[in-house]
Amino acid sequence: MSAADTPRERPSPTLTRRELAAVDGVLQDVEAANKSSPDITITTTADVGTPPAVFGAGGPMYAPSAPSPRRGSLTSFGSVGRLKQFDQSNATSRIMSQASTPRSVVGIGGKGTSGDASLENTFLNACVGAKPDYSEAKIVLAMVGLPARGKSYLSNKLMRYLKWLEYDVKVFNVGQLRRSRARQKAQQSGKREDHRASYFSHVNAEATRIRDQLANDSLEMLIQWLREGGNVGIHDATNSTTARRRQIVERVSREKGIVVIFLESVCDDPAIIAANVALKVSSGDPDYKDMSREEARADFERRIREYEAVYETITEPHLSYLRIKNVGTQVTLCHIHGYLQSRIAFYLMNLHLKPRSIFFSRHGESQFNVEGLIGGDSLLSERGMRYAKALPALITDNIGDAPLTVWTSTLQRTIQTAQDLPYPKLTWKSLDELDAGVCDGMTYEEIEQAYPDDFANRDEDKFNYRYRGGESYRDVVVRLEPVIMELERQENILIIGHQAILRCLYAYFHDLPQADLPYIKIPLHTVIKLTPKAYGCDEERYTLPIGAVDTHRPKPKVPPPSAPAAHSGREYYAPQA
Amino acid sequence: MVAPLYTTASGLLFHAGKILVCTVGLPARGKTHVSRALERYLRWTGIKTTVISLGDYRRKVLGGAQKLPPDYFTLEKSQETIKLRETVLQGCEQQIWDFFNTGGQVVIYDANNGTAERRNAVAEKFDKAGIHVVMLESLCDNEEIILANIRSVKISSPDYRGWDPEQAVQDYYARIKDHEKHYEPVEETTWPFIRIINVGEKIMVNNIHGYLQSRIVFFLMNIHNNFRTIYFARSGQSLIEHSYKADSDLSPAGWEYAERLKEFVLERREKSLQERGINPKERRLVIWSSARRRSHHSAWPFLTKNAADHSPPAKVKVIERPQMAEINPGVWDGLSPEQVRKYYPDEWERFVNDPYAYRAPRAESYHDLCVRLEPTLIELEREKEDLLIIGHASVIRCILAYLIGLPASEIPAIEVARGDLIEVVPTSYGVYSQAHHFWDGPGRAASGKDEHNFYENYAEDTQGKRRPEAKPGSTEPVPAVP
Repeated sequence: MSAADTPRERPSPTLTRRELAAVDGVLQDVEAANKSSPDITITTTADVGTPPAVFGAGGPMYAPSAPSPRRGSLTSFGSVGRLKQFDQSNATSRIMSQASTPRSVVGIGGKGTSGDASLENTFLNACVGAKPDYSEAKIVLAMVGLPARGKSYLSNKLMRYLKWLEYDVKVFNVGQLRRSRARQKAQQSGKREDHRASYFSHVNAEATRIRDQLANDSLEMLIQWLREGGNVGIHDATNSTTARRRQIVERVSREKGIVVIFLESVCDDPAIIAANVALKVSSGDPDYKDMSREEARADFERRIREYEAVYETITEPHLSYLRIKNVGTQVTLCHIHGYLQSRIAFYLMNLHLKPRSIFFSRHGESQFNVEGLIGGDSLLSERGMRYAKALPALITDNIGDAPLTVWTSTLQRTIQTAQDLPYPKLTWKSLDELDAGVCDGMTYEEIEQAYPDDFANRDEDKFNYRYRGGESYRDVVVRLEPVIMELERQENILIIGHQAILRCLYAYFHDLPQADLPYIKIPLHTVIKLTPKAYGCDEERYTLPIGAVDTHRPKPKVPPPSAPAAHSGREYYAPQA
Repeated sequence: MVAPLYTTASGLLFHAGKILVCTVGLPARGKTHVSRALERYLRWTGIKTTVISLGDYRRKVLGGAQKLPPDYFTLEKSQETIKLRETVLQGCEQQIWDFFNTGGQVVIYDANNGTAERRNAVAEKFDKAGIHVVMLESLCDNEEIILANIRSVKISSPDYRGWDPEQAVQDYYARIKDHEKHYEPVEETTWPFIRIINVGEKIMVNNIHGYLQSRIVFFLMNIHNNFRTIYFARSGQSLIEHSYKADSDLSPAGWEYAERLKEFVLERREKSLQERGINPKERRLVIWSSARRRSHHSAWPFLTKNAADHSPPAKVKVIERPQMAEINPGVWDGLSPEQVRKYYPDEWERFVNDPYAYRAPRAESYHDLCVRLEPTLIELEREKEDLLIIGHASVIRCILAYLIGLPASEIPAIEVARGDLIEVVPTSYGVYSQAHHFWDGPGRAASGKDEHNFYENYAEDTQGKRRPEAKPGSTEPVPAVP
C-alpha cells in the first residue's frame, strides 16, 4: 500500500502474452479514435496507459470522457467517477418510471448496510429473506451411543458445519454439566463427588437418579434455548436405553414446532475405540484428576462396560434416526425427512476419521500485492516466484511420501505458485478470490476516495458488505460450501488460495464467528497446517524467510481479535450461563 | 462439488465405480418419476446415466397392452408367455450391459423387481462384474397418490393409446391388484437399499456408502411430486445492459417491465390454478431473485399490493440468492464482440468453438455456472410452492436445461427472451413447458443487440437457436421430452 503513494517509481509489471495482445488491440482503437485529437499521446514504456473508454463500463450511454488520472491495469474496469454517477442516475430513472418503487439499495454495500431504518425498510426485511424458510427449523438432535464412540466429535463437527451455514446451533453436553455441577458443589461444601465407574452403574440407584436428572436438566436448557430462537440443539449424552429415548420423545412432543431426531454412533472398530479411550485418559479430564493413566484407563473401560450392560441400540420403528457406523463408513437413515435433516445426513455420510492434514497457503506475492492493488489476475512478483520455488521442499519435508492433492483457483497467481509442486493438481473456480466488482484493481486509498460511504460501510460490517458488481464475504461462504464438503471427504490436501477464501475456510475449521472472519490473519509466504483432532484442529504455521508485503487490514479502531488459540482440546465444563 | 471436475479420460467419476440402481415397487408407486428425476440430475452433473425401463423395452419389442397375450400380467401363465417374458427380460438386461460396456457409469433399471428372487438374480449377475448394486424401493400407502398417478401417467402411456380412459383405469388397476399378491417388499439386507415412501415423504437408507451413492440419497431426500409450477422470467432492462460490474439498476423501461411482469404472472397463475380447481389465494408464491440489482428490483412490485397501497401482500415471499448471479464475463465485461475479437484473438477463437466449456480470462464458463448453481437445484427440487425465478438469461438457461434434460453443450444456445414468461410444470416423464409472450419494449432482443452482454448471450445471438417451448402466445402445452 505504501507503494501506491509513489506510483511513478514502480517497476513496470511483467505482461503476459495475453495482455500484450489486448494492449495491441486497444492501441489500435485508441489510435484510430485519436486521429482527430492529436493532443492525447500515449506512452507505453513507463505507463501502460489509462484504459480507454472501451474498457470502462460506461459504454454507449456516456461519451468517452477524458482519461481518468489513474494509471491503469488491463484487468481493471472501474472508471471511478463515472460509475458513481450511475448510482445517482437510479434516482431519476425511478422518478421517471410510473411504477411504484420501494426503496432502492443505496450504495454498493447492499443489504443491511444502509443506515435508514424506515418503516418500509422493516417491511422489506420481513418479506425479503436471504435465508430461506427452513432457517425457522427447530430440531433436537439427540446423540445415542456408548462412551468413546465419538459422540462429542460428531456433535462438534456438525455444530461447526451448521453454524458455518448460518444456522444457530448449540451443543448441550451432559458430561460438562455433570462436571460443572460437581465442581460447584465441591466449592460450596468442600466435598468431592465420586465420579468413578461405579457412579455410572445402573445398579447405583442414587447415582442413576442424579444422572437422569442431569440429562433432563440439560434437555430442558436445550428446549429453552430453541424457544429463544435456536435452530438445532444437540443433546450430547449417551441416551442409551429405549426408556430414556422415549422420555425425550415425549418431552419434545409437548413443544410445538420442535422435532427430535436421534443420531446413533456405533463403533466396532477396536482401533477407533482404543484411540478414543487413549484420548480421554490422556487429555486431562478432571474426572481422572488424581489417577494415573493406567488407573484412569481401567476406570474408563469399566465405565464403558457399565453402559454396555444396559445399552440398547435403536430399534424403535417409529423413531426418526440416523445411525452412523465407524464414523462415516456406513450410515443408516430412518424416517429422516426435511431439508436440514437431509443436509445433516449428507454431511455425516461424507465424514471420515483417517488422520490427515490440510495445508493452506496463499499464492506467492503477486505484482498486484506489491502495488497495493486488490483483485486482478496478475502474475507473481520476483519474491513470489522465490516462494513458489521454495514451497515444494517445505511441503515434501512435512508430509514425506504420503499422498497429497493440490487445489488451486483458476487465477494465474495460484497456478503459478503451484507449478513446481510434484503432486496431482485440481483447479477450482469456486476457490477464486472474492470478486471486488468495480473496485477490482484499485488500491484501498482509491476506493476510499471514490466510494467514501461504501468504504465506511465495509469497515462497519465487513462480513456482509458486498462490493458493487462483486461479492461479500457472506457470498463467498455460500459459494465455498461444496468445497467444505469435498474437503471433509478428502485426505491430505494443499490449497493454494487467496486471502478472503482462506479466511472463510479457516473460520470453518476453527469455528470462528462471522464478525471476526474478515480479519483473520493469513499472511503471504506462510503455510498453515491444520490437523483435525477430536475437538478441533491443531495448527502449525511455517513462514518462509522470503519477504512479502502485508495485505492485512486490521479492523479500524477496535483492537483486532486476538489470534485464535488453536483449540483442539476438549471443554470439560459447561459454559457459565 | 459435482462431478465434472473429477472426470477422467474414461469419462467416469474416478473413485465412484459403476452403479446399477434397481427400482423395486408395484406399478404406479412413482418409480418412473423417481428414476427420471435421478437420471436428469446425474446427467446434469456430468455422469453418464441412463434409465432402462423394462416396460418401455417390452412395448418396443412386443407392442402395447392389446398386443400382449392375455396372461402376460396375471399370476398364472402359460409356458409360451413365461418364455416370452424371459426373452423380454434378457433383451432388457442386455441393454444394461451394453450401456455399461460403452462407458456408462450409472444405470437405473426401471422395473417392478417385485420378488426377492428376481432382485437377487439381477443383482448377483451385475455384482459379479464389479458393479455396485443399489435397490431403490418405492412404497406408497396413500391410495390417493396411486390413483392420481394412474390417471395422470399410466393411462396416457402408449399401452392405452386409443382406450376409453375409464376402461384404461380399470384395466390398469386390475393389473396392479394382481401384482400386489406376490409383491415382496425389500426386507433382505443383502444389498444396500434406499426406500422411498410416498415419493419422498419419508426415506430410509440402509448400508449406503460411497460418494455418488450419498449424493443420490441427498437428492432423493429432497424430491417430491406435488403439483407445482415453476415460472421463469428475465429481469427488466437495466441502465447499463452490457456490463456485469456496473450491476446497474433498472431503466425506466425496466421498472415498467417489472410492473407488467407482476400483473401477468398473477393473472396467468390464477388462471392455471383455477383450471385445476385450486384457489390461488391459498397457495404461496415464492420468488427467487439473484442479489444483482436488476434482478431483485424486478421483484419489488410483487411486494406491494399496488402502486397506491404499499402494504405487503400475503402469500408472496421473495428470496435473494447470491448463487444466482449471471455468468461473469471476466475481462470481457463491457466489450463488444468486435473488440474482443481484436483484443483477445486466441481466446475468441476458443470461445467461439466451445461457448459452453470455454472460460474467458477471469470469467466463468457455462460449466462453472452450472457447478455454481448445483446447490440451487436441490433447493428447486424441494420447493413445494409455486416458484417464480426472476433471473438472468444465463442462469435461466442452465436451470431450464436441467429441468428439461438438455445436454450441456446446448445450454448456451437456449433462447430466453426478455418479455417471455416460461412456465414449467414437472411431471413424471419430464416436464411440460410453454412460453407466454407478455411484453414488448426496450430490452427485448429485437430492439438492438449492442445493449446485450454478449458473453452471456453469444450463442443465442449467433448460432442455431433452440427454443425448448412452444411459440410465444401459444397456450397449447408441448411436451419437452419426446
